[in-house]
Amino acid sequence: MNEILQGILKALELIITLNPEVIDITSRTVMISLSSTLLASLIAVPVGALIHFKQFKGKRAIIDIIQTLYSIPTVLVGLLVFLLISKSGPLGSLNLLFTPWGMILAQAILISPLITGFTITALKGVGDEIVDLARSLGATEYQALSTLVSEAKYGIMGAIILGFGRAISEVGIAIMIGGNIRGYTRVITSAMSLETSKGNLELSIALGIILLAVSLIINTLLNYFQEK
Amino acid sequence: MILKLQGISKVYDKRSVLEDINLKVKVDETLGIIGPTGSGKTTLLKIIDLLEEPTTGRIIFDGIDALSVPAFKIRRRIGMVFQETPILKRTVYDNVIYGPWIRGEKPQENEVKRVLELVGLLGYENKDAQRLSGGEKQRLALARALINGPELLLLDEPTSNLDPVSKKRIEDAIEELKGETSIIFTTHDLFQGQRLADRIAILQNKIMQIGRPSEIFRKPANNFVAKFVGVKNMIKGEAEMTKEGLTLIKSDKINIYSSKPAEGEVIATIRPEDITVSWGPRDSSALNQLKGKIIGVNEMGSLFQLQVECNDEMFAVYMTRKSFHDMNITIGSNVWIEFKASAVHIIQ
Repeated sequence: MNEILQGILKALELIITLNPEVIDITSRTVMISLSSTLLASLIAVPVGALIHFKQFKGKRAIIDIIQTLYSIPTVLVGLLVFLLISKSGPLGSLNLLFTPWGMILAQAILISPLITGFTITALKGVGDEIVDLARSLGATEYQALSTLVSEAKYGIMGAIILGFGRAISEVGIAIMIGGNIRGYTRVITSAMSLETSKGNLELSIALGIILLAVSLIINTLLNYFQEK
Repeated sequence: MILKLQGISKVYDKRSVLEDINLKVKVDETLGIIGPTGSGKTTLLKIIDLLEEPTTGRIIFDGIDALSVPAFKIRRRIGMVFQETPILKRTVYDNVIYGPWIRGEKPQENEVKRVLELVGLLGYENKDAQRLSGGEKQRLALARALINGPELLLLDEPTSNLDPVSKKRIEDAIEELKGETSIIFTTHDLFQGQRLADRIAILQNKIMQIGRPSEIFRKPANNFVAKFVGVKNMIKGEAEMTKEGLTLIKSDKINIYSSKPAEGEVIATIRPEDITVSWGPRDSSALNQLKGKIIGVNEMGSLFQLQVECNDEMFAVYMTRKSFHDMNITIGSNVWIEFKASAVHIIQ
């Protein structure tokens, strides 16, 4: 018990004194997760909107598959991306393995279904009557659809934040694709895993506290947008 | 003529919602479309606003074949308020200026004030529109449609489920707009239709009758309209012309005369206020005199409605409170009722 308490106190000291390693790992983690969330959003939000607006055969089945992929294990995505970007894989020539870029790609793949699915839910929540309303007030088709997306913006932002939360807290991709290289691909989760196994609990706890704080910020933002 | 509908029909999944709708609305006229739930009122308004495509038929808006030009160009000249109106997640002001905004126009501040004042929402500009009450939201929807200066205003049951204050505000606004712009509104409230419209159309998937309210109430064109407008004293029978030029209607139970010419199967209707009650047959010009028995009395404010059974045929008769007390009528009293042949309206 005493050891845990000492660990927490030491961890707080590392945070308060802005320990260079803690700062380095944290900033890299945030940058990689933000980048992957941005990449995923650029693809998943329009795809979600397209699925919502278009009527086609198999729409329900596609939505079911997307929702199933919400809980895809990170190690499975890690394995898939590993096969894609390893030297002998189809994207091997891009040399993405064990780089932050590879991690960004893999995290984007992981969270895209989540953002797509929740974008569809957000648009559905606003309701197609908004489109009719906009049309009735003289909007062109493009303006009417833009109005619907604008009305669902808080829901879509919620979807993006949810995606960011999943990206920042995953560990499978960080280790399998990033390789946990110090000063290059080491992020909070992979660092915690390594430092705990080495017995360096203070650093692990400090990083854990930061990850919790990030989660708290994410949840606060989510609640804010959900109330809008 | 601001609007002409020619042979409009709408079929959803083999179910016919509208059949052969032909309608003309004059510039600055107020037309009330009245019909029960499921009669196609909302679909008709959505077709007029080009939000739904008709299965067949033509829509001529101000001389333009509306289905042959980009829909938004016509919609920009029409305003529509939905029954359950969606409100944009913006302030009241931003909701109102949505129309000018998508047209790339700068909203005129005095115009915003004018429409908000008309619906009683002046001072609400900076409020979150989502937090308004149901009635306020409906009034906002009306202001939002009016800011665009519509040449035709479509109102889909604009006062249904509203609080009395909001209902009155919207009705007052319609009254104020009457004659300034053309209006088509739907309602299932007959009295509202009668009060606000220049003409009313009774809709039950097709137009059962269209005309001035007084015409429809006094001379329903068919059984449906008669029942819908609450016509009492409907007697089904065979009509034949007499030598005197009158029409004799023979039902299974009674015979009555009408001054309206008709032959064959008909429904005769007599307004309750056109029937008088006496203790015995009178020497009067009324051709129809029937012996009956009072079997029910309902108090209706200053009037009494009597249920009189004449040879198994039921008649509703209105009497003033004074006449009722003067005659000292009670349930079970044997009385005579009389009405003129000219008071017998005939539905073929």
